[in-house]
Amino acid sequence: MDLTPNEDQLALQGATADWCSDNMPLEQCRARPAGTWRQMGEMGWLDMTGPAMGLDHGTEALIFAELGRFLAPVAALSTAVYRRWTGTEGKAALAIASLQAVRVADPDGASVALGVADGRALLYGLPDALDAAPGLDLSSPLALLPGAAAPQPVQDGRAAAHLRLLAAAYAVGCADAARDMGAAYACTREQFDRPIGWFQSIKHICADMAVRASVARSQLYYAASALDADDASADMHIAAAKRLADQAALENSRANIQIHGGIGMTDEAYPHLCLKRAHLLGFVAKAGREALLQ
Amino acid sequence: MRFQFSDEDQRFREECRDWLEDNIPREKRPLNAVDAVDFDRAWQRRLFDAGWAGINWPSEYGGRGLPIVRQVIWLEEYARAHAPWIGSNFVGINHGGPTLILNASEEQKAWHLPRILKGESIWCQGFSEPGAGSDLAGIKTKARIEGDELVVNGSKIWTSYAQVADWQELVLRTEEGSQRHKGLSWVICDMRSPGITVRPIQKISGQTEFAQVFYDDVRIPLANVVGGLGNGWKVAMSTLSFERGTGFIGEQVKLSQDIEELLDSARASGRLGEADIAEQIAQLRAEVFALRAMTYRNISEVARTGQPGPEASVIRLFSSDLRQRIERLAIALAGETVLDFRYGDDDFITDYLLGFAVTIAGGSAQIQRDIIGERLLGLPKSR
Ligand SMILES: Cc1cc2nc3c(=O)[nH]c(=O)nc-3n(C[C@H](O)[C@H](O)[C@H](O)COP(=O)(O)OP(=O)(O)OC[C@H]3O[C@@H](n4cnc5c(N)ncnc54)[C@H](O)[C@@H]3O)c2cc1C
Repeated sequence: MDLTPNEDQLALQGATADWCSDNMPLEQCRARPAGTWRQMGEMGWLDMTGPAMGLDHGTEALIFAELGRFLAPVAALSTAVYRRWTGTEGKAALAIASLQAVRVADPDGASVALGVADGRALLYGLPDALDAAPGLDLSSPLALLPGAAAPQPVQDGRAAAHLRLLAAAYAVGCADAARDMGAAYACTREQFDRPIGWFQSIKHICADMAVRASVARSQLYYAASALDADDASADMHIAAAKRLADQAALENSRANIQIHGGIGMTDEAYPHLCLKRAHLLGFVAKAGREALLQ
Repeated sequence: MRFQFSDEDQRFREECRDWLEDNIPREKRPLNAVDAVDFDRAWQRRLFDAGWAGINWPSEYGGRGLPIVRQVIWLEEYARAHAPWIGSNFVGINHGGPTLILNASEEQKAWHLPRILKGESIWCQGFSEPGAGSDLAGIKTKARIEGDELVVNGSKIWTSYAQVADWQELVLRTEEGSQRHKGLSWVICDMRSPGITVRPIQKISGQTEFAQVFYDDVRIPLANVVGGLGNGWKVAMSTLSFERGTGFIGEQVKLSQDIEELLDSARASGRLGEADIAEQIAQLRAEVFALRAMTYRNISEVARTGQPGPEASVIRLFSSDLRQRIERLAIALAGETVLDFRYGDDDFITDYLLGFAVTIAGGSAQIQRDIIGERLLGLPKSR
């Protein structure tokens, strides 16, 4: 039993964080440079658990949590799952299906979208021209899928759990980002002649953010290693990880806006970007509570 | 990352399980400290004789010298088997002993540690005072030095198991006029010394498990100072890190037992069909899973670096809040039957009432949040 990253994993995590802060900062998530998607592919992030790289889900979850911290494009989630379980190249946009409509996030350059409905991973063919524009989550261009061509299920049943795990990893990253943004602001913003983080009511909000992020990250590691072991409990642990990570992302994002005061209400500042990302992730591969009552 | 235990660890787990199955006392542990102490001593002795005491303590002092992961496995199996609450051995086993291992002289360790493991020495903790709880550096109980003795005057309060303890980890102001963290000493006090008066205090659950302790010219040999005269703050901080860290693993493991029982009984009674109850149980279960994952992560960290980090405060804060929420749900599900509780009963209502302590004792939830904010997130110190 060992639920801490090993030396290699820590090195990879550090390199990922460095690359992201240089090339894919959170602050630019609303308009990524054209080459970002290609570069993410070159970094190997979209094929980590495929046969060529052969890394485990523990490592992948660790790296996706880093990517999530920078609000990296959400198509990385669906694409990693698509490539792993269909053995295909290319990009898969992220599909979010409801009873009324299928929404597609990040469709630029994708001919297919992948999402989870009724516990199964499904593939939706995409028309050539899909007009995507930012929706609530300003970092994820969104389109409505016209018509209702029946989606194709991904054969391997593990694909749905995989997407759920990676979305949880992104949410853990989002929770971390909000915590760090909030704590940093609390150290610098001064009122009453002292940093606002001196006041316990702010400090304790920050402490609660740290707790939520740590709780979610711990469960993420456990769930990833259960999936790696193909353990019978994997689905339940992934459902727990997803639930706690979504809550951490949303609650931390809200707390971060509160800590920022008036500036937290502005479009120009960054706190709302985490909040909006958290709302989107909450709809990705949602896990019903039944999985937790087995 | 591996959540699975190695084959050798699994074999160890089976050994634990088999032994517990055959050896758990049939009679229930008495509710009150005074009645329970003989039970606690006898049970601890049996654990020691069978090699289950001090699994990760050094072998030269009666322990087994095994890695901490084995201790975790033991505690998991212990909770799983519904083995008795550690009770009056809590302080000695969970933080007195570990503090001695880290800070005491060879003689002190050689004398005290085996006795703790065998249940021959019951310890209590004399840190808090009427005027100094959260603000431990504000303690006033003082000692003057006369020859090779300390002469102690003052009072400690909330001392759990004081009425049955043989020894006490006592933090004193040993330097006249010293302020705050300076001039303190961590001392081993013989609870049978002349001049000690213990006044038991009843809890909201009915038990008289803690007490106020008065010291009137109590003489303690200078040789009983641990870690050097005037170094008490540092030694006390190590005690608290054990108390807040590994000391609570057993309690955390019990939570997973509790939520599984709640799930089973809600299923049996049909209440799981109520959406809000199903939702609460699903949520609590997810959090209990996460607590185990956090504990494993923390243990892995300790195994790697040799010490618990400030993350221990995160676990403490989370697990104490989680415990209270689980107990609140148990109470809510029980309905009006909770009104029949009487002092002397020992059931989930007792647990619920005792559970209020976990966000107060050993550093309140507010103090833990300060620690997390300041030490983990680097926010400015308020105090
Ligand atoms: C069941 C139980 C067993 C115990 N056993 C022992 C024992 O064996 N040995 C021992 O030495 N002690 C023991 N204690 C004492 C325990 O450590 C103290 O109760 C604890 O440290 C809090 O101190 P206090 O009770 O004086 O409360 P106070 O410090 O007076 O706190 C009262 C309230 O004020 C809050 N508060 C205090 N300071 C701050 C601050 N700076 N910022 C924000 N809020 C603050 C607290 O969080 C709390 O809510 C025990 C306590 C309990 C409940």
